[in-house]
Amino acid sequence: MKNLFYLSFIFILFSCQNKKTQSTINSIENPFFQEWNTPFGVPPFNLIKDEHYMPAFEKGMKENMDEIDIIVNNKEKPTFENTIEALERSGKLLTKVQRVFSNLANSNTNSKLQELERELSPLLSAHYDKISLNEGLFLKVEEIWKEKNNSNLTDEQKKLLNDTRKQFVRSGALLNKEQKEQITSINSKISELTTKFGQNLLAETNGFELILEKEDLEGLSESVIAASAEAASQKMNNAETDDEKNKYKEKYLFTPHRTSMYPFLTESSRRDLREILYKSYIMRGDNNNETDNKTITAQIAKLRAERAKLMGYKSHAHFVLEERMLKSPEEVYDLLIKLWEPALDRAKKEVIDMQEVVDAEGKDFKIAAWDWWQYSEKVRKEKYDLDESLIKPYLSLDNALQGVFNTTNKLWGIKFTEIYDVDMYHPDARIWKVEDEDGSHLGIFIGDYFVRSNKRGGAWMSSFKGQSNLDGRERPVVVNVCNFPAPVGDSPSLLSFENLITLFHEFGHAMHGILTNVTYGSMSGTSGPRDFTEFPAQILEHWASEPEVLKTFAIHHETGETIPDDLINKLLNASKFNQGFINTEYLAASLLDMDWHTISSNEDLKDANKFESESMEKYGLINEIAPRYRSTYFAHIFSGGYSSGYYSYVHSAVLDSDGFEAFKETGNVFDKDLANKLRTHVYEKGSTEEAMDLYVKFRGKKPMIEPLLRVRGLDK
Amino acid sequence: MNIFNITLINILLFFCFNSYSHNPENFIISEIEQGILTFENEQIQEEYNSALKRLRIRRLKAMPMHKKFFIFTKSGFEHILPKGLDHILFVLGLFFSCIKFRALLIHVTAFTAAHSITLILAGQGLIQIPASIVEPLIALSIVWVAVENFLFNQPNKWRPLLIFLFGLLHGLGFASVLNYYGLPKENFISLLLAFNIGVEIGQLTILIIAFFIVNVILRTNSKNKKIRIPISVLISLIGAYWFIERVYTLL
Repeated sequence: MKNLFYLSFIFILFSCQNKKTQSTINSIENPFFQEWNTPFGVPPFNLIKDEHYMPAFEKGMKENMDEIDIIVNNKEKPTFENTIEALERSGKLLTKVQRVFSNLANSNTNSKLQELERELSPLLSAHYDKISLNEGLFLKVEEIWKEKNNSNLTDEQKKLLNDTRKQFVRSGALLNKEQKEQITSINSKISELTTKFGQNLLAETNGFELILEKEDLEGLSESVIAASAEAASQKMNNAETDDEKNKYKEKYLFTPHRTSMYPFLTESSRRDLREILYKSYIMRGDNNNETDNKTITAQIAKLRAERAKLMGYKSHAHFVLEERMLKSPEEVYDLLIKLWEPALDRAKKEVIDMQEVVDAEGKDFKIAAWDWWQYSEKVRKEKYDLDESLIKPYLSLDNALQGVFNTTNKLWGIKFTEIYDVDMYHPDARIWKVEDEDGSHLGIFIGDYFVRSNKRGGAWMSSFKGQSNLDGRERPVVVNVCNFPAPVGDSPSLLSFENLITLFHEFGHAMHGILTNVTYGSMSGTSGPRDFTEFPAQILEHWASEPEVLKTFAIHHETGETIPDDLINKLLNASKFNQGFINTEYLAASLLDMDWHTISSNEDLKDANKFESESMEKYGLINEIAPRYRSTYFAHIFSGGYSSGYYSYVHSAVLDSDGFEAFKETGNVFDKDLANKLRTHVYEKGSTEEAMDLYVKFRGKKPMIEPLLRVRGLDK
Repeated sequence: MNIFNITLINILLFFCFNSYSHNPENFIISEIEQGILTFENEQIQEEYNSALKRLRIRRLKAMPMHKKFFIFTKSGFEHILPKGLDHILFVLGLFFSCIKFRALLIHVTAFTAAHSITLILAGQGLIQIPASIVEPLIALSIVWVAVENFLFNQPNKWRPLLIFLFGLLHGLGFASVLNYYGLPKENFISLLLAFNIGVEIGQLTILIIAFFIVNVILRTNSKNKKIRIPISVLISLIGAYWFIERVYTLL
């Protein structure tokens, strides 16, 4: 029996091996309150728990406020060092936690983080308001600013001083008490109206449903039918009453959400239904009901004009554009009008092409706005004939990454090495260290590429750590987040051509964040005006579609064969398809945006419709196309931050086409000399100089629109 | 068509995070463009597990061959000692039968050969048998070898064949472990071999430890009824318990 005892002891010993000692979270200190001893300053993701955020935010805001108080209460004469640099150094803890939090709340969220997001948003905006509206702080800044010509500040320091002062001035620091009160009252009215605008738009978009029977589905593909059936059955499951349930039972549901509407407009052969759905989309906010946005838009535009006048500007657009690369409404109009004519001409030709298809089908109607998707698709099949599924096998994610690494390596000699011994926030997030040509450390690049259910849609760049040379050389930690398809089984993740462009685009932003080399963190990387910061991202896209480059990495993942020329040609041709429509609807919306925001405060504005139709008539928009956004659902400008800024996309496109043209002109898309200029004047400089100056230093002259017209096929 | 859209989202998101901005309007923008997130915890876990496997494979790919080989050998060993309690019991079941050392060697070799075959086949994806069938059967195989040990003094002549069949089952068990960890396609066969070697070493270690305890510490041998019977009863009871548990949980 004694023997048995020994043996059972051994069994027990073995079976105990797996039980880990449990460590309680409480015993671990909050990692935000400690120095990070991680490689290259990557946040210690394995130590950060959801409950660490709130205490860190609270302490961070308090520390930040204390620092501001010290600056304001300093009895010494204000200097650049004791005020501007002190401001620059303030808020370290807050920035530290905010960067980690806002990244993870978007790329790897959970219900706890979402709750925190809602809780934090008002706290943070109140906190930053307290700083930007701090009078004592402004007086100090103003005093330094007045003396700036008598001091020996560097250009970079002068720009920082100017920018800091301007932030205060633009929040109304120079106004008298009465004016300040007026501004506050206008701001709160605008804020109320923009919120209402957004709510109305949501209600209007969700308020219309096209519920169809089986016999109405003519022309629709199986996947579209399946999705609409699923949409209806979801509605049915959520319905509370039997009547409600019956409404959706075995039906097919389409809505004015673009993801639901576009496939229907493209595929359905029921012209009558296409018209109904399309009209439901463009009439959002224009239905004369309680969620109508016509008066609200006019009110918002007028209030903005009043605010601009109080601040001493001719119009809201003048106020906004002062901070942009294009400095005045005149410059913006000039650009938009130059593009408008070629785009509209092309669109008119596209209508003729489509009408030919209608006539050839023996149908008797004139192309209308709701026919565009269907007939442009027919033209596309006939003229461009590109099967996307043939391209994907050449574009595995790993090949595409190799492509973008090689491209930046050939341009600037930088090197990417994947590292594996650093803990990330999710196993799909990969991490590379980036080295310069001379082997010095440039930064960390994190790529989080696959779609997952706790990640927001879209694609973006952000950073976990910024760059600064103020207190020693600090290099950044930059991240790209995308929503590419995850690998299935043994086959790798395969990208569409659009995905590939997105990969290069975001990588361009990442380069802007990694190559940056400035003294003050607030001026580093992507901090410039938004009609400029897309340029470093968009110019990189051009290398992705350059046949010479594409062929180096587009290798079939099974056969090892390089992408054939024939396929590349089809691909590049297809990018010129439907450009008349795309540009016209976009430019119409941009012009509309500018028209709304160049009005003066005493303009008599009652109705958004009248304003809009007069505006569109002036430019000669054709009936077959509506502006990409009509006023009553133009959320970018009436509830988002894009007022007199919608033009930015095309402005960035002008820059990237013109910038890449410079490489083409040298006859070598990897021209070393030009690449160096691009790096030193654009990617390294952040916002330390005026954006247009930076561009001209790189290009040697101001940008022209002709290269863009060629890229989009609008030149003939 | 979507290029504007994508760019738009980029810019918006980009400004929400980057510009350490003081403008509260930025919070509003992100709400509009990103839409509401709805997610299911179950799906997140599933996605997480496949991501973890991708991470393991990426890490492996980046290693030099000798390191990979060592890792797989080690993981094969660990799946016997200490993680593979059921395999340990099975091997002990073989050990405590009243046979000669040479016969024991034949049994263990048959077992190894068999589980190598199924491990390779399943690893290649050529056979697929659900765990709900394999796992309870593995438990039953343990019961059988142990029961044989205390019911019969002489093992029947079909035993090597039976052990071979059981080996096939255990191989499927190993395969599901390997599949969970992920095997890079490039070095499939050599890493499978490495894993098998680890398993082998694990098994031999069990036999050596058992031999050492029984023959050296207790100064007797495995045929001794005082040891053989109670241990075999214990093993078969545990096996039976596992059988019931696995049928119950996997159903």
